[in-house]
Amino acid sequence: MTEGARMVTVTINKSQYRAEEGETMLSVAMRNGIDIPHLCYEEVLDPYGACRLCMVDHVTCGKRTMMTACTMRAKEGLEIMTDTPEIVKYRSTLFELYLSQAPKSDVIKEMAARYGVTKTRFLKKIVHDDPLGGKCILCGLCVRVCDEIMGGSAIGFINRGPSTVVNTPFFDENPACLGCGTCAKVCPTHAIEIEDLGDTRIMKSWSGTRIALQLCPDCGQYFAPKEMLEEILSLPDPGIVEELKPLCPACRAKVIAKGMFKATFQGSVHHG
Amino acid sequence: MAGSAMPIQTPGDLVKARESGLLKLKPGRPRIAVGLSTCGIAVGGERLIERLKEIITAGGHDIDLVRVGCIGFCKEEPIVNITIPGRPLVILHRVSPDDAEAIVKSVLNGSVLEEKALCKVSSWDHITGSVIYGTGFDTIPDYHDITFFGRQTKVILRDAGFINPEDIDEYIAVGGYQAFVSAITSRSPDEVIDIVKQSDLRGRGGAGFPAGLKWEITRKAKGHLKYIVCNADEGDPGAYMNRNEMESDPHMLIEGLLIGAYAIGTPDALIYIRAEYPLAIERLKKAIGQAREYGLVGENILGTGFSCDIQLATGAGAFVCGESTALAASIEGKTGRPRPRPPRLTDSGVWGRPTDLNNVETFCNVPVILARGAEWYRGIGAKGNTGTKVFSLVGKVENVGMVEVPLGTTLRTIVSEIGDGGAGGKAVKAVQTGGPSGGCIPARLFDTPVDFEHLNEAGSMMGSGGIVVMDEDTDMVDIARYFINFATSESCGKCVPCREGLKHTLLILNKIVAGKGSSADLAMLESLSDTIQMTSLCGLGQTAPNPVLTTLKYFREEYEALIKEGT
Repeated sequence: MTEGARMVTVTINKSQYRAEEGETMLSVAMRNGIDIPHLCYEEVLDPYGACRLCMVDHVTCGKRTMMTACTMRAKEGLEIMTDTPEIVKYRSTLFELYLSQAPKSDVIKEMAARYGVTKTRFLKKIVHDDPLGGKCILCGLCVRVCDEIMGGSAIGFINRGPSTVVNTPFFDENPACLGCGTCAKVCPTHAIEIEDLGDTRIMKSWSGTRIALQLCPDCGQYFAPKEMLEEILSLPDPGIVEELKPLCPACRAKVIAKGMFKATFQGSVHHG
Repeated sequence: MAGSAMPIQTPGDLVKARESGLLKLKPGRPRIAVGLSTCGIAVGGERLIERLKEIITAGGHDIDLVRVGCIGFCKEEPIVNITIPGRPLVILHRVSPDDAEAIVKSVLNGSVLEEKALCKVSSWDHITGSVIYGTGFDTIPDYHDITFFGRQTKVILRDAGFINPEDIDEYIAVGGYQAFVSAITSRSPDEVIDIVKQSDLRGRGGAGFPAGLKWEITRKAKGHLKYIVCNADEGDPGAYMNRNEMESDPHMLIEGLLIGAYAIGTPDALIYIRAEYPLAIERLKKAIGQAREYGLVGENILGTGFSCDIQLATGAGAFVCGESTALAASIEGKTGRPRPRPPRLTDSGVWGRPTDLNNVETFCNVPVILARGAEWYRGIGAKGNTGTKVFSLVGKVENVGMVEVPLGTTLRTIVSEIGDGGAGGKAVKAVQTGGPSGGCIPARLFDTPVDFEHLNEAGSMMGSGGIVVMDEDTDMVDIARYFINFATSESCGKCVPCREGLKHTLLILNKIVAGKGSSADLAMLESLSDTIQMTSLCGLGQTAPNPVLTTLKYFREEYEALIKEGT
């Protein structure tokens, strides 16, 4: 929690909780172990409100309005209900839609099953050679993290409406891709495939974009995208000593542990 | 540009400009004006004006030939109006290039081609001013006796079809820019906001939010830099009110926008217009250029210290960009995808700045409200629904065209009287109001007053003002399918109920239309529509199921017949 933030009391399912003013209600609920299903939320990103699963009842003056918990900000006296029969009904229909859109996703199947939804009334989407293996639910986390956090903007939404897909521009290999794999890490349905083959990382889901990997001269393992590593190593100030730079984190740790360097930073070596 | 091109530096300069502008409207010689908005051009208006020009030039005749906007009677296009000094203005209809010779000949004789005459106008109330044409031509019916015109109240379309939209002088001639000039020289921004608030003007984009209140919120919003934006991204199938307003009277919009900018306190005004409106864009650009030459747009307007420039931003053909947050994203050069609100645009809009967004027609109302006062404006329409609304009356109706009526006018007046009922005498079955997300209202509910609340009660909405008429031959299930197909392909694809839900709604409707539906499909349509309405991120999804829900409510037997046929 941020220091100095005003604390407020909010009510979730008739129980009261302390929350930081302005914090999202989804985050308050998660911290207190209240399960609100969600697919497009990630703490470090701006709220997006696309998956619609976290919709809850916002109770004001006895009236209820449905709102997404991920975009609702905590304030004194705010009251929500997370599992009213209405909410469960809508959530179940949304799960059916997800089951038809991403029929191969086990994550979706498990989430839906918790709401008793084990099959869908809607026609399942079957795409041959889908680079995302029939698992993508277009939550946009990969696109947003690539743009907002990594600054890569290597992938984006293509087309609109039901034809929307995520990929690289024109489905070509994209040199803007850093190969960092953050997209795959944030993907809630594990749809993004990345494979390391020798000195190359292949972004299988992103039009087969190929990324050169850096070899660790000590252990002989390829461990990180070469270009990204160079860029990152140029950033810290004071920088890391030259001899340590090409090593993988494990070998670097070993070298430092053996005490081969008195200090790990160039600044200390040169001026110490 | 024709005209004096003398910068207007004082209110007195505007009076002078008005006098010289009137000489263009009533030039002391015959004037032939051809209605050349997109509609007139589509039915051969350009060929007609070319032919008239040839004849006038070849004969060396002392006749003014000008382009005007559209008077709104689309069915009767191409429309030409003739002014002979001292005589009423005469509106000719269904004019072809072959009539050109006879038209010029009769004008030279001091008369008009009576066989083509639709009606005459002895004097015209431009509301911001009036023009007296003259008397005579007793055999030609009066404008007010033509039912299509007579039942209308022209406030927004006060100049359309009468003035040359490409000439600022003609707009000034009918009292244009007077309201703006008085506002910046004699009223405070708060006074302007007060007048608009008192007029009870509601936003004409569809939601009906009080316009004055929105201005006030934006004026009070924190932030030094603000934007005022005009939403001209009219994209409903069958709706072209805003296009006509901009093509026929672009200065009216510019004046309203300038007044808004002054009230809010910003020098930055933007018009977000769809690229599919090339003529409106051209005329707006021309109009902004002329206003700039006259010193009505730009730095330190009339020496008051108020500056305002207007820029155009064009859309790239996405219906969803009419939604406020998607529109802001599109202006910033991003994909037009809505984001959750709050924050509203008035807090954080274009490039994070407080932004006021109003529809074209909302701005068009402002000059007359300031010119005639809030009380005068409240006298038009109904309580809580003041003023007029322009509708595009299209589909299977006899009189297709632009219709302007006071809010609270019944659908029956619009469809049966002004529209003269079904095309070719067929019985009207329903109307669809509010664009693709509106609902179908059956003929038995035609006593419904057309205002924001009553249309919602009937399961439809005001929207921006499209009225699509369906007759006895229209298949209502197919209508629902058409609109769902539109909404599906225009969905941005961000949230699942709209993207996936509408797709499946379309698939189910296709199945029913193909005769393969079951009653379970009807239940599924209902529950799916409910989910889409309740859980979608933006207005597009929240309203898209309306055509399905209203046709299921009012025309369920048509669905059932299709299901029975199939079994």
